[in-house]
Amino acid sequence: MELIFKLNGEEVRLSQVPGEESLLTLLRERLGLTGTKEGCGVGECGACSVLLDGKVVNSCLTAAWQAAGREVTTIEGLAGDEDLHPVQRAFVEAGAVQCGFCTPGMILAAKSLLDQNPDPDEEVIKNALAGNLCRCTGYHDIIRAVRRAGKLLRGETS
Amino acid sequence: MMLGASAIRVGAQDRATGKTRFGFDQGREGDLFLVCVRAAKGPARIKSMDYAPALAVPGVVRVFTAGDIPGQNRLGIIPVSKDQEFLAQGLVRHYGQAVALVAAESREAALAGARAVRVELEDLPGVFDPAEALAAGAPLVHADRAEGNLLKENRIIKGDAEAALARSAVLVEAEYAIGRVEHAALEMEGGRAYYQDGRVIVKACTQNPHYDQGDLALFLGVEPDRVRVVQAETGGGFGGKLDVSVQPYLALAAWHLKRPVRMAYTREETFLATAKRHPFRMRYVSGADEEGRLTAVKAELLSDTGAFASYGLAVCMRAAVHATGPYLVPNVAVNCRMAYTNNTWNGAMRGFGVPQVALAHEGQMDALAAALGMDPLELRLKNALRADQATATGQVLKSGVGLTQCLERLRPIYEAWRHGLSHGGWHRQGVGLGCMYYGIGNTGVSNPSTAQMEWLPDGRVVLYTGVAELGQGSDTVLRQLAAQRLGLEPEEIDLCRGDTDRTTNAGASSASRQTYISGNAVLNAADNLEELLLTGARELLGARHLDLDLRGRLILEKGGQGRTLEVKEVARFLASEGREIKAGGRFDPNFTALDPATGQGRPYAAYAFAAQCALVEVDTASGLVKVKEVAAAHDVGRAINRRAVMGQICGGVMMGVGMALMEEYQQGSTDNLQNYHIPTAADAPRVTPLIVEEPEETGPYGAKGVGEPALIPTAPAVAGAVSQALGRPMRRLPLNLERVMEAITTAEDQQP
Repeated sequence: MELIFKLNGEEVRLSQVPGEESLLTLLRERLGLTGTKEGCGVGECGACSVLLDGKVVNSCLTAAWQAAGREVTTIEGLAGDEDLHPVQRAFVEAGAVQCGFCTPGMILAAKSLLDQNPDPDEEVIKNALAGNLCRCTGYHDIIRAVRRAGKLLRGETS
Repeated sequence: MMLGASAIRVGAQDRATGKTRFGFDQGREGDLFLVCVRAAKGPARIKSMDYAPALAVPGVVRVFTAGDIPGQNRLGIIPVSKDQEFLAQGLVRHYGQAVALVAAESREAALAGARAVRVELEDLPGVFDPAEALAAGAPLVHADRAEGNLLKENRIIKGDAEAALARSAVLVEAEYAIGRVEHAALEMEGGRAYYQDGRVIVKACTQNPHYDQGDLALFLGVEPDRVRVVQAETGGGFGGKLDVSVQPYLALAAWHLKRPVRMAYTREETFLATAKRHPFRMRYVSGADEEGRLTAVKAELLSDTGAFASYGLAVCMRAAVHATGPYLVPNVAVNCRMAYTNNTWNGAMRGFGVPQVALAHEGQMDALAAALGMDPLELRLKNALRADQATATGQVLKSGVGLTQCLERLRPIYEAWRHGLSHGGWHRQGVGLGCMYYGIGNTGVSNPSTAQMEWLPDGRVVLYTGVAELGQGSDTVLRQLAAQRLGLEPEEIDLCRGDTDRTTNAGASSASRQTYISGNAVLNAADNLEELLLTGARELLGARHLDLDLRGRLILEKGGQGRTLEVKEVARFLASEGREIKAGGRFDPNFTALDPATGQGRPYAAYAFAAQCALVEVDTASGLVKVKEVAAAHDVGRAINRRAVMGQICGGVMMGVGMALMEEYQQGSTDNLQNYHIPTAADAPRVTPLIVEEPEETGPYGAKGVGEPALIPTAPAVAGAVSQALGRPMRRLPLNLERVMEAITTAEDQQP
């Protein structure tokens, strides 16, 4: 049986995917998309966050087969050919990227939040990102970046 | 781009788009996978090991044991204390030590192979507490050591502490303790190695590629030029990637199998088989006169290095040197001992023992303030080190002593919080202070850095540096410094970084040393490059004594009246003569070694200073502590990249909050992030970074360092705030629910 799903806008067909294989392993090892990180393997750190039909999930706890017939977005699928996605741009400009290992998951979690709530306040941002750990920034500049991204997406600033 | 402005980090865009390949991401089709077999108990004797069943697992290629190591199976960062066996040799010194290494065609096969290795272990008597380890008759962790289980004892003796204490108007005496802390960098250790033309090439995450090269050469029993180490992009370090981790296994397997291999630790392995912050027990007696001037501090410190020395010698000495804090203390008696035990080993973590002693020296300042009826900030201000005063090691600081400025910057915030405290229902608020100083670079030893700069014939300028970038921002800062010196924009300079074939030794990215030490080495290289170009220009112009200036891509005659040349004309001229336009730079901070008996000397050339205050709210019904706000004033000498300095401060504060409230590594029960909690965004206090710039005259444009100072004052400030909220001193970290509730219930019991 073939596993068919949409990945970053394009259809993927894969055969011989074992039932126990995680979406994370499939993305990293089978498809070579190493932008999705592993930080704990038990769903605590959020480094492996991807969007499944637009909602953020831990790909380490998601079976690859759960993606069947659905749409997966990874960090590689966020930017256009030329431009960064506004959330990515805000992270870069606000100093929200230090070592950068949590960054892909954090950006996807932030995008998922902003898709649902275009103008979140600080408490909402903190709670929405509480499943994505960062050890470098103290979250300060990440929170600033999400607010800035909100403004960019709402067209309040260029 | 002006120096001191906020520069966008080198590599930020690649990280934000997922293009960056970290050590953990290394690996290509066809690589072999490596997995360690780890001892399920320790200490123990290996009675037998049968790996034939592993070889029978389909896909397993080979199983390595200690006998396969061609060179020295004892590695470690400090040359005089290399004692870590990467594959146990007859004896397992701690639970989880690697006993064998399996190489297989897939991760699944390697894991299956590792499970199939049969290891028969016989329990040996062990010791797990440093005080017990130093008692007579304790089992020896390394039987061959003449000093037994004592790794090191450092004393700092200045004046006569006993006599001064006897004469003091007030004395405070207390004990403090702090447990082990895991770095929990988000990236787990990982990398890849291959064999090519008689050499092994290792690309892995690391904080010190040139050290790795030397130790891997020892491990393989070859000259260093047979090993090339390339730093993979590294997802955080905090000291945890200073020891080698996967590198020896990668090198060993690639060396024997002549095939590409990859290895990545699981989070459980990172918890079990990498260093932790050293736990400390500290007993302090501090004295002051009636006006609150410190008369003497006496401190007894005890720590545990675990089964291996790692950075123990450095942590022991640095903790002793910094034990009395950033204050003028006329009489000092510090004794710091570090013992081997059979715990998994402890090593470098952000601050090298200084965060631990800061808990105690700040607790003592709060206790003295209470005993004297003084405001804690005023007491600190009164005793703060100033220029031309001597530290505990007798070093008179000439410049860059910014603690009083830090405290003055904090004062309005501190006073507003003190006056605005609210207590309602079950909630109690408190405000606490933490101060620190931190010597930049290694303690009382030479720790040079080197760099090169090259002007290529096509006009590109390249900075070659061995400095490992881990997320702290050294790539950006070093490029800014080079650009500033040459009059270029940072973007005009290409970086070649962290490759032992192409760059030279810059020392470790540790001890907050890279901006100061490698920054100076880069400036030196830029100066020498300028001299090469100006010499070339004089030759080209046929005027040997012309006074010239380099301004970016132009060479001008000084005074502005004379000739102007483009650098590319000079570069073309030099190239036509076959001369390379590449210059080296070097810097080694000025120091004197510490006297072995008294610890007196000038261990560092420069010191960073900081003061932070924290506002907390304690829920006395649950014991939950919420850090609401932290103001953090840091004397960094000069901020080279303002945004990065603030980023370091905010990150350090958060790590300090974790250490203060929730983080304690318990061997066997904390094995992943689900039972060892680090702060989440929901725990983040509001942080106000305050940058103080008291120029360090020997620093690059006055800069010092901030990486570790950012963390050090936070836990003492939080502990002080919780103490104030509860009305009793809290001297043992972390202040988790259990410990806070215990303090609340004990206090209630004691009420009449």
